[in-house]
Amino acid sequence: MLSFDHYATPQTLDAAFDAIGRFAGARLVAGATDLLPWAREGRAGDVHLPAMVDVSRIPELCALSVQGDRIRMGAATPISAFQNDPRLQKLAPVLGRCAVWFADDQIREQATVGGNLVNASPAGDSQPALLALNASVTLARRVASRIESRCMPLSDFIVGPGKTQLAGDEILTTIECDAVPGWGAAFEKVGHRRSLVISTVCLAALIRLDWAQRRIEDCRIAIGAVGPVPERLHDVEMRLRGQPPSAELLREAALMTADRVRSRSRQQYRREVLANFVERALAAALAQSGVALERLPKESVHA
Amino acid sequence: MPDIASGASASASGRHPMVEISVRVNGRQVVRSVPNHYRLIDFVREELKLTGSKEGCGAGECGTCSMFLDGKLIKSCLTPVHKVQGCAVETIDDLDRDHGMTVVQQAFHKCGASQCGYCIPGMVMAATSTLRRNPHAGIDEIKEGLGGNICRCTGYQKILDAVELARDVINGATAPAALQEEPADNFMGHRTRRLDAPSKVTGAIKYAADMWMANMLHMQVLRSPHPHARILAIDTRRASALPGVECVLTSDDVPGVDNFGVFIEDQPVMARGVVRYVGEAVAAVVAETVDIARAALRLIEVQYETLPGLFDPEAAMQPGAVQLHPFAANNICKHTRIRKGDVDVAMREADLVVEEIYETAPIEHAYLEPEAGLAYVEPDGCVTVQSPSQNITHHRHMLAKILGRPINKVRMIMSTVGGGFGGKEDMIYQGMMALGAIKTRRPVRYVFTREESFAASAKRHPFKIRYTMGLKRDGRIVATKMVMVSDGGAYAMSTPGVMNKSAILGPGPYAIANVWVDAIGVYTNNTPSGAMRAFGAFQSEFATEAHLDLCAERLAMDPVALRMLNLMRDGALTHTMQPLDRVLATDCLQAAVAAAGWDAGVPHRRAHGLPARTDLDGPGTRAPCTLGAYLPSAAPSHQEEQQHEA
Amino acid sequence: MKHRGRGVACGWYGIARTAAMDRAAVWVELDDGGTVKVATGVTDIGEGVLTGLCQIAAQEMGVRPQDIVLGDNDTARVPEAAHAGATRMTYMIGNAVAIACREAFGKFRHAMGAYWSVSPDSIRAFAGEVWVEGSSTQRVSMAHAVHVLKKERGIVVVGSGLFTSQHTPLHPETGVATPWQSYVFGAQIAEVEVDDDTGEVQVLGVWAAHDVGRVVNPQQVEGQIEGGVVMALGHALMEDYIQIDGKTTTPGFAKYILPTALDVPTITSVLITEPDPKTPLGVKGIGEPAITPTAAAIVNAIHDAVGVRLTRLPATPERVMAALREKRVVSAPLRRVA
Repeated sequence: MLSFDHYATPQTLDAAFDAIGRFAGARLVAGATDLLPWAREGRAGDVHLPAMVDVSRIPELCALSVQGDRIRMGAATPISAFQNDPRLQKLAPVLGRCAVWFADDQIREQATVGGNLVNASPAGDSQPALLALNASVTLARRVASRIESRCMPLSDFIVGPGKTQLAGDEILTTIECDAVPGWGAAFEKVGHRRSLVISTVCLAALIRLDWAQRRIEDCRIAIGAVGPVPERLHDVEMRLRGQPPSAELLREAALMTADRVRSRSRQQYRREVLANFVERALAAALAQSGVALERLPKESVHA
Repeated sequence: MPDIASGASASASGRHPMVEISVRVNGRQVVRSVPNHYRLIDFVREELKLTGSKEGCGAGECGTCSMFLDGKLIKSCLTPVHKVQGCAVETIDDLDRDHGMTVVQQAFHKCGASQCGYCIPGMVMAATSTLRRNPHAGIDEIKEGLGGNICRCTGYQKILDAVELARDVINGATAPAALQEEPADNFMGHRTRRLDAPSKVTGAIKYAADMWMANMLHMQVLRSPHPHARILAIDTRRASALPGVECVLTSDDVPGVDNFGVFIEDQPVMARGVVRYVGEAVAAVVAETVDIARAALRLIEVQYETLPGLFDPEAAMQPGAVQLHPFAANNICKHTRIRKGDVDVAMREADLVVEEIYETAPIEHAYLEPEAGLAYVEPDGCVTVQSPSQNITHHRHMLAKILGRPINKVRMIMSTVGGGFGGKEDMIYQGMMALGAIKTRRPVRYVFTREESFAASAKRHPFKIRYTMGLKRDGRIVATKMVMVSDGGAYAMSTPGVMNKSAILGPGPYAIANVWVDAIGVYTNNTPSGAMRAFGAFQSEFATEAHLDLCAERLAMDPVALRMLNLMRDGALTHTMQPLDRVLATDCLQAAVAAAGWDAGVPHRRAHGLPARTDLDGPGTRAPCTLGAYLPSAAPSHQEEQQHEA
Repeated sequence: MKHRGRGVACGWYGIARTAAMDRAAVWVELDDGGTVKVATGVTDIGEGVLTGLCQIAAQEMGVRPQDIVLGDNDTARVPEAAHAGATRMTYMIGNAVAIACREAFGKFRHAMGAYWSVSPDSIRAFAGEVWVEGSSTQRVSMAHAVHVLKKERGIVVVGSGLFTSQHTPLHPETGVATPWQSYVFGAQIAEVEVDDDTGEVQVLGVWAAHDVGRVVNPQQVEGQIEGGVVMALGHALMEDYIQIDGKTTTPGFAKYILPTALDVPTITSVLITEPDPKTPLGVKGIGEPAITPTAAAIVNAIHDAVGVRLTRLPATPERVMAALREKRVVSAPLRRVA
């Protein structure tokens, strides 16, 4: 059971910093969808916190806007926005594809983008999609009476399982990512069932072909649940850039991931699935861009 | 200044700060003061006594707590009550403001969508939310809308039928008369709508955790952290002294003969001198509130001396293994034997002998209703326990003996059960509740958390089955030998019955002249294994049917033909030498084949270079699930993957 | 790539308590307003026995199911009907209800026969109406009939019934026994799709044929089959309560995986409804028989699809992939030679 002495719901960023300052050991909360299941028998057990500071009603954390080729989301944006917000649907459809695998309808209304990132679960589903979109995070802190921010790429923000660069006196306020209208997008995930399930492997892929649809002009691939942190497959992306798409190229890309699995369990399974996901996601993204490819038969993968 | 002292004392005393919540619930403004750690589900159920929404798991995994918050469907067990300040909440309890049933609820009634009913309020809410969002939602979108709600009884089919019917009635595609019951000229064989469905689809029906009595106290149970340990001492003084605690119980408080069990009465109400599994009840606290009771648990000091634990049944059977029960030599709880004909001779005469080992896993019943109960003593001294017990007759017998009372001074009432499947046959908490009610002379309520239910209640027996089958070249089975070992866990529960059933039914509905079966249930320090839907038969028949498929492959036979050859007919003798006048086994197989359309042939014919099966991907199958039904592009993530192989 | 396959499995199950006598008793009263009180030890655990018993009683007593009041299952208030499980409720308690109702209705017939001066055998009743066969004048509501019998004749129509199922215990060495009077047979076919990229198995269709005896309520029988099939699907593909040194690593629903609405097949139920000859009603049961063939049908279908046998449940994606990998390794040298 989760219990606490104080629960504050600040309506402004300043009030939030007041609360953090007033209660030592205060815990920031947005959706609470990770926190409440964690404070139960079999996991953390009974947890008593000095204070909870609920940032979900602060207007800056709920705003969503598009500025040029970047999307800005408040940290308290619910995951359901990935599916429901027309701007995200149009400019970053990979987020919607990721959202359909994220928990269920109810939890998507409650869980937040920022909360999911700060929780930094290695199996978090939103991280690969956001990494593929070159996401960056803005962290705010109050110094004297001024609110200062620092920005960093999402890949720098998450440093380990459950560990981020968020300092004790900081609040994650916004997440920014690329707008990629017209890119082919795919999200792959496998668990033990088709809904409300923890990922064993997940992957997001984006592809943009050149105007003649003859070469891969740009691509982004990010993986999750196969190591302590989610990561981009920069080497694979580099190999693909500028190349004409082909089944052989996709197979080559898949084989490059052999050593990317760093989980402590089910390694062989994850290695195989990861390679298959790379191929499958790239093929799906290409298909959306108008290039249909038949993948090479599987026997070639394993000698 | 940080105020850490009060935090420590809130947990220690069970008295938490209160918070005043002002919120609109089902159209009515309410202002209530509640413990500040309450979630919305606690506020709605415990404070407002709106019991239609349920807490099936408390961790957002089952959906039974679903309700609308400012128009959005959320899981209320994940919502700190502070979040609803100034908001509007809509629960199942008053979904139709005119106090009738909504179209969705009527459709659930018509389609037979509610069985135990525990998941149904949440399902109705999820269906309502899905159709409010898109009144024309197709089946894939409906399934995704219900993807956060678990049902253990229905298999979802009739729930989905109900949502589609509701959608069609709402849209005018189907007339409202479709929601009415079909007329009957004979009530036998009629699709009568369930009589308890209206109370289930509206959340009105009361399960054990929905019941309150005036002056009620709350029970919490201290459970063993060790799989096997001696209890050297239990010191309850600090717990008893906590303000608000009415009594603390241990096995010393049991006045009568302290054991219970479905077949073998080997389990004490609370551990007596030794704990045999993680989660076994050691002590119980009865207090004014659940919070105080939980705080008191932390003050009970138990001195354990850990003992070596047994976790594998085959190891537990070995000579020299620590003995878990004084009466069970080699930790064997039950050994059932079937010996028909002469298996050794028949195997030697077989054309083909096929061997394989099959294993099944321990299974959790996962009824959506966690265990709960209400116990009280009537003015005439009759001790009454209301609980979802699946066998109140037997429980009353055992409880009377445990309490040392005449049997007509013990009363068991079976409350509406939110799923049983055999998991509520064991009297694992009613004894403690009765004792608490007697000692305090007040009603006592106890509601399990989901984690408690997992740890303390029975599991389906896992089986390891060594299978040997001898056949003639034409496919006739001449001999079956099954040696089965099962982990019975710490207490017997239904192990004797499970071993019997697994042996009697295991070799399957086949006419076999020579049968040898051993079914051995073994005590270990794992969670006890007990009754679970089709106990013993699920496991042993799985092995037989998987084995027959293997034999069909080896014989290059069609698996239907192999079965038709061997199935019992009228007049057959079972493996226990019972003659059966009428056997409808072949009728069933033929009916299944006719319904499915079956392209006869060897299994996995691709490997033999044979043409692919022709019966795949036809009527009676659904499209594979690809998710994303209501994304705007509606393009599945790998639509291009049209390649199928037979 | 996706591969499809089909598997078949048969099954059988015994009805009611195993190898021990089983019993159930019932009291019935024809009550004011033409309603009926039935008292027996039953609480619905979801299978629909409450409605089923009301249908049986309604048909026997000439009233409607909603006119039946079934007393709570309370050891201090109702006769014993023993436990809720073992696929025994409709069989044991249904038959006992029928027997009790037939005794009560027999008395009613007798009393109405005397009232109308006709043979008791010519008294008919259905859905709350009572009449004399062939007569257009001798016809009243059941409510009126009850009122008349009580007020004018001082008759309260009550009945009781007992149903016993004769089972014998197992011989300790050979297992020889008559463990049940009645058996339910069944067969199921499953069609699956296996994804060899991930090892996921989706069950797309199940056809289930079960010999259920006389059916009281077909919708409820279908519901039990559908629920049983999906529960078995969970056992076959995803459910595993894991303990390490006695402590569970699956303490809740996040780790212990149950099927959701997105995991379930289309299920076609075929009911074989030949009445059981040994009992007054001819009913059998379905709750547990429904779950016995499915897991093997699924596992056999996986083999049909991709040529690997999963002999250990659950057949999780990891195990399916491991089996596929092992198969490729084993078969690879042969391919090179070819």
